[in-house]
Amino acid sequence: MIEELAKNLANLKKDFASAYDGNSQFQEVIPASSSELFPVHAEHLVLLHQFATDNPIYYNSYEKIIGSTSCIVYEGDINKYWLNSIQHGSSHAPFSPTWMMSAYVGSLIAQDLGYAQVVDIGSGDGRIAFCGRVVGMQSYSIEIDDMLTDLQDSLCSSLDFNPRCSDACAFDYSSLNLKHPVFFIGGLAQMGGISLASGVIEKISLISGLQKNSGFVFAGTLSKKYAADPKNHAGWGTLIEKSNLKILQTCSLPTAWTFHESDDTPYIFAQFEK
Amino acid sequence: MTTLDGVVQMFDDECQKLQNLIGIADSKSNLTIDQIVEIYYQVMNVSSMSVMLRGQSDSEPLLRKLRETEKLIVEKFDSITHPQIMDNLSDSIRADTKKLQSGNSGKKSKEEIESDAKLFEELRQKMSTREFVEQYEKNLHHD
Repeated sequence: MIEELAKNLANLKKDFASAYDGNSQFQEVIPASSSELFPVHAEHLVLLHQFATDNPIYYNSYEKIIGSTSCIVYEGDINKYWLNSIQHGSSHAPFSPTWMMSAYVGSLIAQDLGYAQVVDIGSGDGRIAFCGRVVGMQSYSIEIDDMLTDLQDSLCSSLDFNPRCSDACAFDYSSLNLKHPVFFIGGLAQMGGISLASGVIEKISLISGLQKNSGFVFAGTLSKKYAADPKNHAGWGTLIEKSNLKILQTCSLPTAWTFHESDDTPYIFAQFEK
Repeated sequence: MTTLDGVVQMFDDECQKLQNLIGIADSKSNLTIDQIVEIYYQVMNVSSMSVMLRGQSDSEPLLRKLRETEKLIVEKFDSITHPQIMDNLSDSIRADTKKLQSGNSGKKSKEEIESDAKLFEELRQKMSTREFVEQYEKNLHHD
């Protein structure tokens, strides 16, 4: 069911991208209601729309039927957050959001794999942590940029996804009392993701008993504009091998940065080799 | 015309093109990004041809031309034009950043946001061009 949902979302994005004639910096769609192609809990959809409606990165929304699916299109702009992040030089990679529906599908996969807690690393506006809460997992959101954690705080009214303003490579994860967490790593391997992931993996490995229960999700890229990793896996192969991780599943989902590309973002779910 | 003669003729043409581009760069403080990229590619192009031709012939006119070209790149481009381009790019990025920061307060209309987005895109292009130019600088120090 989740794989079908992911496939339908990828098709929806293709249709939307070819029909979109607006000028926004980024744009995404969320189905207006549950349907055969998108059998999403009605309460979950309400929460996803609520997050987008309350989120100041979106400045416009409208209804549109894409293919046979009635959707709400959200148009957004994250330039001021980008400007802030480059000013402070604090971020490993500038904020660029995955789609809300992709964050939701990613959370469903994580839950289906048996994880109990989502830790959104380099979380931007915290949407993956938020979606983790939507599907019923515990969530934590770690973001180094204070302008973005202020934004996250303002989005916690419907569901608290525990935003923390901190450097994820220095954060004390033992303070969260994690039992079976999955860490979503923000940023492509080639855009600072490797150092972010390496830092987090190192911290996790120092916590007794946590390593064997932890999973990681990496956002890959198939774009030719980035140097390929010699071990492949959309830029993450070397780190996966070096960290003794085993891939559980890969799922391609739409993101803001692949909107104009034919390939979506491969999300790689991995865990430590037993 | 031998193959070598053909290559030398091509080298002459490329050197002339480089000289013209350096002339344009010296006369303008606000080169477009395309002009900046073009001049650096031309420097790399001429440098590569120069390395290839060295050792291919002991013809004095060719060796003289190679020396002149090296002088043009080292004494003119690397010492004067390239630092000037770096400074101008940095000044322009600083000015654009300041302008965009000052316009960041208050609620904006859809049209204003989308118009500002174009300025942000220009800033991103300038920053990416500066990275490209900085890469040239790093290679200079490694040579």
